[in-house]
Amino acid sequence: MSAQNPAVEALGVAVAARVPVLLWGAPGTGKTSAIRAMAEAMGLPCETVIASIREPSDFAGLPIVVGGEVRFAPPAWARRLAEAGRGLLFLDELSTAPPAVQAALLRVVLERAVGDLTLPDEVAVVAAANPPEQAADGWDLSAPLANRLCHLAWQTEPRAVADGLVGGWSAPVVPVLPDGWHAEEILSRGLVAAFLHVRPGLACAPPSNAAAAGRGWPSPRTWEMAARLMAAAGAAGTGDEARSALIRGAVGDGAGVEFLAWLVEMDLPDPERVLADPASFRLPERGDRAYAALAAIAAAVAADPTPARWTAGWQVLGLAADTAPDVAAVAARVLAKCRPPDADPPAEIHLFAPVLRDAGLL
Amino acid sequence: MPEHGIEGLAAARVWAASKFPYLATGVFGAQVIAEAGSGTVSVDESWRMHADPELTAGWTAAQLGSVLIHHVCHLLRTHGERAQGAGVRPDEAADWIRAADAEINDDLVPAGLDLPGRPVLPRDLGADDGLLAEQYFDGIRRVGPGGFGGVGGDQGFVPPGASRASGGVGADNQARSGPWLDCGSGADGIPRPGQGTGGLPRWQAELLQRQVAQDVMAHAMLPGTVPAGLLRWAEEVLTPKVNWRAVLAAELRRAVAEVSGAVDYSYRRPSRRSAVAGPVVLPALRRPVPEVAVVCDTSGSMTEDLLAMVLAEVEGLLRALGLARQVRVLACDAAVAPVQRVSSARQVELIGGGGTDMGAGIGAAAVLRPRPAVTVVLTDGYTPWPAVAPKGMRVVVGLLGEAAPDAPPWARAVRVSPD
Repeated sequence: MSAQNPAVEALGVAVAARVPVLLWGAPGTGKTSAIRAMAEAMGLPCETVIASIREPSDFAGLPIVVGGEVRFAPPAWARRLAEAGRGLLFLDELSTAPPAVQAALLRVVLERAVGDLTLPDEVAVVAAANPPEQAADGWDLSAPLANRLCHLAWQTEPRAVADGLVGGWSAPVVPVLPDGWHAEEILSRGLVAAFLHVRPGLACAPPSNAAAAGRGWPSPRTWEMAARLMAAAGAAGTGDEARSALIRGAVGDGAGVEFLAWLVEMDLPDPERVLADPASFRLPERGDRAYAALAAIAAAVAADPTPARWTAGWQVLGLAADTAPDVAAVAARVLAKCRPPDADPPAEIHLFAPVLRDAGLL
Repeated sequence: MPEHGIEGLAAARVWAASKFPYLATGVFGAQVIAEAGSGTVSVDESWRMHADPELTAGWTAAQLGSVLIHHVCHLLRTHGERAQGAGVRPDEAADWIRAADAEINDDLVPAGLDLPGRPVLPRDLGADDGLLAEQYFDGIRRVGPGGFGGVGGDQGFVPPGASRASGGVGADNQARSGPWLDCGSGADGIPRPGQGTGGLPRWQAELLQRQVAQDVMAHAMLPGTVPAGLLRWAEEVLTPKVNWRAVLAAELRRAVAEVSGAVDYSYRRPSRRSAVAGPVVLPALRRPVPEVAVVCDTSGSMTEDLLAMVLAEVEGLLRALGLARQVRVLACDAAVAPVQRVSSARQVELIGGGGTDMGAGIGAAAVLRPRPAVTVVLTDGYTPWPAVAPKGMRVVVGLLGEAAPDAPPWARAVRVSPD
């Protein structure tokens, strides 16, 4: 699974979770064929609708007079999807659709309503678009439409193209969501909620310029989308890169990166809890996280240097010294500077003397 | 941690993290792998350093620590990715690496970086401090690869006579520019054979980069502790500079779209689908092509080069939108010069000087016939504005220069700064 292009993987998760998704990419890079191949692999009927050559009434329903009242008749593709009960609605060339058509698409994309007909919940909406500067006659997406979609960047891997030309294009691997994956959504919603408590400004931040408005941006709706995608990615066991692309695609790059960074930080041990029970400390494996964890503990001790906390801090460093003597030595220098007047020199200090001497710091 | 086999690595990291505390996260985030016989210390784009233990055994903790810091800076400043953007060919990789080295070293060497050998500094390339690698590289390209060969070519991390089996790229360059350190694909973006997969995936590398940028900003609270170049880098990572061309293009497209979208149903012509609707008359979609006028501030405070650049950009955008007819340009200071119909930005004459009132320019645009639906105002912002929006006309304001005051809230403003 990990050998796959992360964008394809992310697309599969979004389709499986029935979150409307939009692929941005240059013309001729295989967006359309990837989406069709995915529909085939999932066994879903696929209806392609090219938005740029349609009129608003194709999505809002064509008014017809039946017995003295006006009904909005859905087009044939909508009826076919409704009869199948499931399927994939593929809106191609979204960014070349004129603004009036984009307005008509709002209800289709999020509520799956076409005229008087409502498409079943099992219908996934997928769209593709060329960036406005690359399309022949491009418009930026309107902010409300952009806010209803998860935006994925479609990049081509030169090596995949080379392999595909010779050996044929491989069918995308479709992620399988286990039954009951919705239960995980409660957890991911909780994480999003906790993050928004810390950064309330990101709960809703409409973009200030027209170029940014056409991409993902944080709003209550997109945060909900992000929580759902995160749960689906977790349930499907996708790679971290695809998960990151989905979250950033929903709420935009800026807010998405902050959320991901916060998630990483969440994994670090709580300094106060470690100081209360030094034996429970487990050093994170990656060097930078180990440094972040030990630096946080040393800073916590320095903020309130009682003899008990100071000794506990040294015990933690002693545990870490085996696997990461350098990381622990840096934290040891911070601890050494905040020694409480009535504390005895710790036994662990001899662990760090050689490395500090080698570094010319003693 | 897996990076055993290099003597003195722990001490080197402690030295680096203590000397440059704001880069400590980066130093510990990079994985160091012993690679006997490579004859160099190189770095790849996945935050892995490949070090020859034989070479590093001869270095002090400070020297190895400095090489770690130096390589972390290659990664933080995404030199590999930028090399691809600058179109560096494999045979120019050595020149690019020298340019990239100069970008890193110009303020870290004064801050106490103790590299083995003599590091490349901007003055070796005949350039000033504080520029970007792309600018140094352009300089090298102009002078030609042999230009500074004798001076900067001898970076000297590699002792003379040591084996330098660093793949085809290194071997190719060695003959031309003398001994040089192969900093690896993390510095020039050219993949090396045999480095395999693994290391940090790209999105985690981005998070790590942001974390270091935040550390740098936090340390900069105490003035004088962080080199200015690094601080500038951190500010750019955390608040990326928006490309004014993209914003201007989007604002213009939006203005034109709103005008053509505002009256898009018309009963002047019935819809071609009326046939199926029985007695109901359906309106057809109409898309009027909006007229566009450009008002240029020609007061004494304007910079002619910047104005010409923006005007050319506006013109190209309008052409891309299918509004290919000639643009009407009004030159305006306190009064309005006669309308010039131009077909290229070069034809605009800046006649004004003295005081400024953009209200006069917008007023003059409003009485043009056919009436423009979108007016683009290019100004430095030192002007009075009308209190309310002109009726029936959308205004996009290009504010030229870094320090331009804000535009009125009824206009869509785009800040344009020289790049």
